Order: sequence, then C-alpha cells, then structure tokens
Amino acid sequence: MNDHREILSEAVPEWQLELDKVGFFRRLLLSRKWFKGDWWFVLISGILLITIITIGIFPQWFAPHDPREEVGPSLLGPGEETPIFLLLIDQSSDATTFADIASVKNKIGYTVGSQSTQAMRNTIDRLNAQAEKEGIDIVYQPRGERFETVEEGLEAVSAGEVDGFISSEEELGEVIAQFDNLIVLEEMRSSKAKSFVLGTNQIGQDIFSRIIWGTRIALIVGLSSAVISFLIGVPLGLFSGFIGGRIDRLLTFFMDSLYTFPGLILAISIAAVLGAGIGNIILAIAVVYIPTYFRIVRGQTLTVKNELFVEAARSLGTKPIEIMTKYVFPNVLPSVVIIFSVNVADAILTEAGLSFIGLGLPPDTPDWGIDLARGQDYLRRAWWLITFPGSMVTLVTLAFSMLGESLSEILNPRLSEL
Amino acid sequence: MSSSLRRFLITRFLMTIPMVLIMVSMVFFIMRVLPGDPIRSQLGPKVSEEQADRIRERLGLNDPLPVQYFNYLIDMATLDFGNALTRGERPIKDELGERLPATIELTIPAMLFTSLFGIGMGAFAAKNRKKFIDYSIRVFSVFIYSIPIFFLGLVFQIIFGVRLNLLPLSGRMDSLILANFDSITNFYILDSILTRNWGALKSGALHLIMPSITLGLALTGVFIRLTRVNMIEMLKSDFITAGRARGIPENRLVFKHALRNTFIPIMTLIGLQMAILIAGAVLTETTFSWPGMGRYLVDRIALRDYTAVQSTIAVFAFFVAIISLLMDILYALVDPRIRY
Repeated sequence: MNDHREILSEAVPEWQLELDKVGFFRRLLLSRKWFKGDWWFVLISGILLITIITIGIFPQWFAPHDPREEVGPSLLGPGEETPIFLLLIDQSSDATTFADIASVKNKIGYTVGSQSTQAMRNTIDRLNAQAEKEGIDIVYQPRGERFETVEEGLEAVSAGEVDGFISSEEELGEVIAQFDNLIVLEEMRSSKAKSFVLGTNQIGQDIFSRIIWGTRIALIVGLSSAVISFLIGVPLGLFSGFIGGRIDRLLTFFMDSLYTFPGLILAISIAAVLGAGIGNIILAIAVVYIPTYFRIVRGQTLTVKNELFVEAARSLGTKPIEIMTKYVFPNVLPSVVIIFSVNVADAILTEAGLSFIGLGLPPDTPDWGIDLARGQDYLRRAWWLITFPGSMVTLVTLAFSMLGESLSEILNPRLSEL
Repeated sequence: MSSSLRRFLITRFLMTIPMVLIMVSMVFFIMRVLPGDPIRSQLGPKVSEEQADRIRERLGLNDPLPVQYFNYLIDMATLDFGNALTRGERPIKDELGERLPATIELTIPAMLFTSLFGIGMGAFAAKNRKKFIDYSIRVFSVFIYSIPIFFLGLVFQIIFGVRLNLLPLSGRMDSLILANFDSITNFYILDSILTRNWGALKSGALHLIMPSITLGLALTGVFIRLTRVNMIEMLKSDFITAGRARGIPENRLVFKHALRNTFIPIMTLIGLQMAILIAGAVLTETTFSWPGMGRYLVDRIALRDYTAVQSTIAVFAFFVAIISLLMDILYALVDPRIRY
C-alpha cells in the first residue's frame, strides 16, 4: 500500500506539497484547487449549504403556513387552486352577505360527501373571529341540512325551507339552469390561501411549509449526532493509536466489530429500545459512526507518531497529552473534517430511514422521513406527497457529500483519489 | 493446500468467534441493559402487572443480568431463538427460515447489477480520468449515494408501477398465483423453475425487477468510487506501463489487465460494504412490501415483539460475520500474499 502512495506523490506538483507545510485553515485558503478543476464543486455545495442552513435556522421566514395546521383541502396538487364554492340563495331573500344568514336560526343546505362543508366551516370561523375582534356579541353557527342530490337542495332553497345552499360549480353542473330564481350570494374557498406551491397532504397540511420545517429537524439530528460521534471517536482513536499495546488491540477489535455491524440495524435496534424522541434518535445514529472516526484517526496516528517531529518533541520531554493534542491531532484533522461532512450526510439519510420505518420522532413532527412514509399510502393519487420531501433529503445529503468530496480534493491533494 | 494457507484459514475462522460474540453481546446490551421495558411496552397499559410479570418470568427476564446473559449466549450458540410474542407465536427459527431466502433472492440480483454497472462505470471513469465523462460519473456516484433508497424505490413505483403500469408495485408474486404455488425452498424463482411453473416464474421475475434494481442502483455509488480509485492506482503500476510499451491496446489494458487486478481490493471492500447492503435491503423491503428479514424486523418492531426483534438482529449479525469470513477466505485463496 505504501509503495502506491509514494508513486502517487511524485505526480503531485511542488506547490501542492508545500501546502502540507502550512496550517489547516491557511491550507484551505491557499489551495489553488479553488481556482482549478473542482472549484465549481465547492461553489455549488457552498451555496447549497448556506441556503440550507439559513432555512434550518429560520424556517419561519420561509414557510408560509404552520407545518402542523390543516390549512387547506386534502390532497390538493401543487399550484392547483383551492376549489371555489358558491353560496346560492333565492332572489327574494333579503340577505346581502353570508353573515345575514349565518345565525343559529338559519339553515344552510349541502349535499352528502361534498367538500363544501369545509369551506363553510372555514368562512364561519373567520366571521366569528372577526366578530370577536370587533367586540360584537354574535356567534355565527348556521345549522347544516343534508341533501342527497343537488337538485333536492336547490328545490329546498326555492321553497324557502333552507336559507341557502352551498355547492361547487362542478356539482351544480347543468342542474342550475333549471333554477333561474337563484342567485350567487358569496364565493367561498376552503382555505385562506388561493393555492399551495407544492400542494397539500392527506390532512390538508401545506407540503412546502412541512419540508421547510423538516430542514431544521434534519440538521439538528445530522449535526448533533455527528458531533457526538466526533467527540467520542476522535479522542479514542488518538489515545488508542498513541499508546498502542494490549489496550489498543482490544479497542480496535471492539471497534471493528461495531463497524462490521450494519449501521442501520444498530440504529434501528437502539431507537426501538429507547423509544421515540429526538434525543434518542441522535444517540442511536451517533453510536453507528464512532468506529469510522476511530479507525481513521487511529490509523493516521500510527503513521504520524513515528515522524521525526513527534520524536523530537518526545525527546524534549513534552507530555504525551500535549503530543497528542498539539502534534498528532492537527495532522489528523484534515481527514476528520472530511469524515465529518460525510457523516452528517449519512446521519441525515439514516434519520430519514428511521422515521420512514416508523421509528424515532413523534408522528406529527414535520419530518421528511415521516412525510415519505405517510405519502406511500397515496402513491396512486398524489405524487407530490413523496417527490418533494424525498428531493429535499437528497438535496441536503448531496450538499454535505459534495462538501466532503471537495474538501478531500482541497485538503488532501495527495490522497485526493481516496 | 499449503500449510500457511491452512493456518490462515484456521486463524481467520477462530477470529470470527469473538467477533460474533461481541456483536451478539451488543444485541444483548441494547435489548436488556438499556432502559425501557420491552414486555410492558408490548402489552400496553391494559394488561395487569401480574400478567406482565408472568411473561417476564417465562422469558427469564427476572433473572439477574449475568444469568440472563449466560442463557442468552447458550440460546444463540444453539440457534434456539424461542417463539415470537405476537402473530401466532410461531418459533422464530421457522419465521426467519421463510424470510431469509426472500432477502437473499432480492440481494443476489442487486449485487449482480451493482457489480456489472458500478465496476464498469468506475473503470470507465478511471480510464478517462479528469475528462468530462469522469466528472459526470463522479457526480452521478455522489448523487446516487445521496438519494435515500426508499425514495428511489417510491419514485420507481410512481413511474413504472402507477404511471406506466409496467411492473407490479409490491410483494413477491401475484396473490392469485401465490395461492396455488407450493414453495419448497422459499426461493420463489428457484421453486418455480423446479416445479416448471412458468406463470409463477414470470410473476416472480416481474416482481423482482423493481426492488432489485432499486437496491442495486443505490449501491452503485460506492462501487463506482471504489473501482475508480483502485483503477487509477492500478493504471499507474509498472506492469501496465510495461504492457503499454509492448503495444497492448488501451481498452484491453484497462478492462482486462488492470480490472482483473483491481478485483482483489474491491472484493475486500465489498465485505466491508455489507452494512450498506443490509441497510439497503431493510429499507427496500419496507418500500416494496417484500416479505424478507428486513420487513420482518420492521413489522415486529411496530408490534414491539421483543424476542423476534432480538433474534432477527442477532441473525443479521451472524450473516455479516459469515459474509466477512467468506470474503476473507476468498481473498486469501485468490491472493497468496494474504497470510498471517
């Protein structure tokens, strides 16, 4: 393996080798790779990440609705307008607005199974809210009257049995032509918004708002679990590689077994035992990634600790802990940074997977995995339930993986192919 | 067989035992030492404490932890998983025996697809290094790696199952055919060939296409990277330069001489990538309602069937250990330099 590395280093230009001599941050800035081949990789992932993190920190700036509130009709397509319902009254009636016929004594007709009731309830809610605000002591609550067909309902309005009849244009269809005595009093929508950019889900929540708020959950879980595995894996790897001996062998064997254990299965079992909750999920995912840090850091520590400068430090009587933190760690850092960004990407994927199979977060959390799992039941009717949350997971994961990819090009010019 | 090879095989085999021991102990630790009462959460609040206690007594959960651990290890060593707690309380060994073939039937075509597609693309990218095609393949590999596998499956379901109506959405076989289908080995494809049931073969194959391609595609990202990196190193080695000097055509050099030597490192890495394969299989099975091990695990977690969950996870651990053992043995057989 070492032979290859040496062959490879000959092909690396002189300026790149010099980069190895300067510090981590300066290397990041100085690297000419910024301007050569992979700059667009960095650019795209950088822009993506800044956008995603902004969205994650301030979802309320971007989301038009409350992600948990049922703001519209169910399963409305992206950009589709919410249906309009017409409130019909007899022309002899002296009502001029809906409020006039919305008292407790009034009756409003509708057909069985029509979505018009939702529109009516919405309008009534708004009227009541307005009345309360203005301090008027009226409760609007007309009684609903069910009809089997539109025709029966319209006849009842004409006969004065009910004060109004609410129905959509499609439902009215041809029938309305027979009743030229009826006029349209008001148009009603079943939601405040005219349409929803990415549609609504089966219980009428706005998909766009949900995926915006989902970003926050994904980032919290991804970043915190990565930080936890970093904080445990890196010191353990440094320690184990540095002291060597029996403890090192034992730790390595344990970590290797943990590494071979399929990560998702491990996370599934931990999450299943610990139960729902964001903290438990973070823990479950964090455990999975510890061995990865451990392996890389330990391997690099083994190489670095035999270098001349470490030997020099040791002969000068530097304490082992200082050698580890000041001499070894900075040399390990570049690889760790790369793993970290890949780790965040993986953690976000795992989190989505866990919530997809129903483990992890409480059921109504605005989370991409949960939305995908719920959308699966409506596969035939509503493609948008799946497409948008799924694309969001992909996009965020992609941003972090691309960051990892470009960082490895910049930080490790010699190892760039690994 | 040379003595050094024999020694390698024996050592490697003996090393598998502590590895399995650690993994199985980890399952024990997660299931019994971590906080949470599995029996209580399965039974729900309605069942009285005495009843819950009776079940705990029956499963030996009231014993001191070291005793539990000892009994558990003996059960695992004798592959005695006990009975499930829910859905007919069948022996878990039988349940898993029915489901493991389904998972294997799903993963084999997936692995084949990945190997052909991933290794081919990786080699092609390495050959055209730093050219446009290389960048495109790399972007593709990062992209495919970033798509959650279940999302990929759902998108395929929408396109090929719902919109184009070409392939069945879920399951292993049409329920009408399945009703008259007697399975011998639970490998449906194999069974339908053995019993010459061509209708079943067609249905089984059609059901297999989408899940296996989903799983295969999700794995290609990793394979492309591995192949590409190893190929680039290989193409720099002396024997390739020598071959080039002798005038061997470049394509032959890349796809025959270099690729054949790249297989060895790739193979070991495949052993390490088993985790991705299994994770992928669990999620693919859930997406396509494929009645395999992963689906079983997820179902039983939802039912809080504690013994079934514990055993399934342990079997996954066995599975991984065996695969990694096989890979290493294969590696040693192919490459005589690998010895202890």
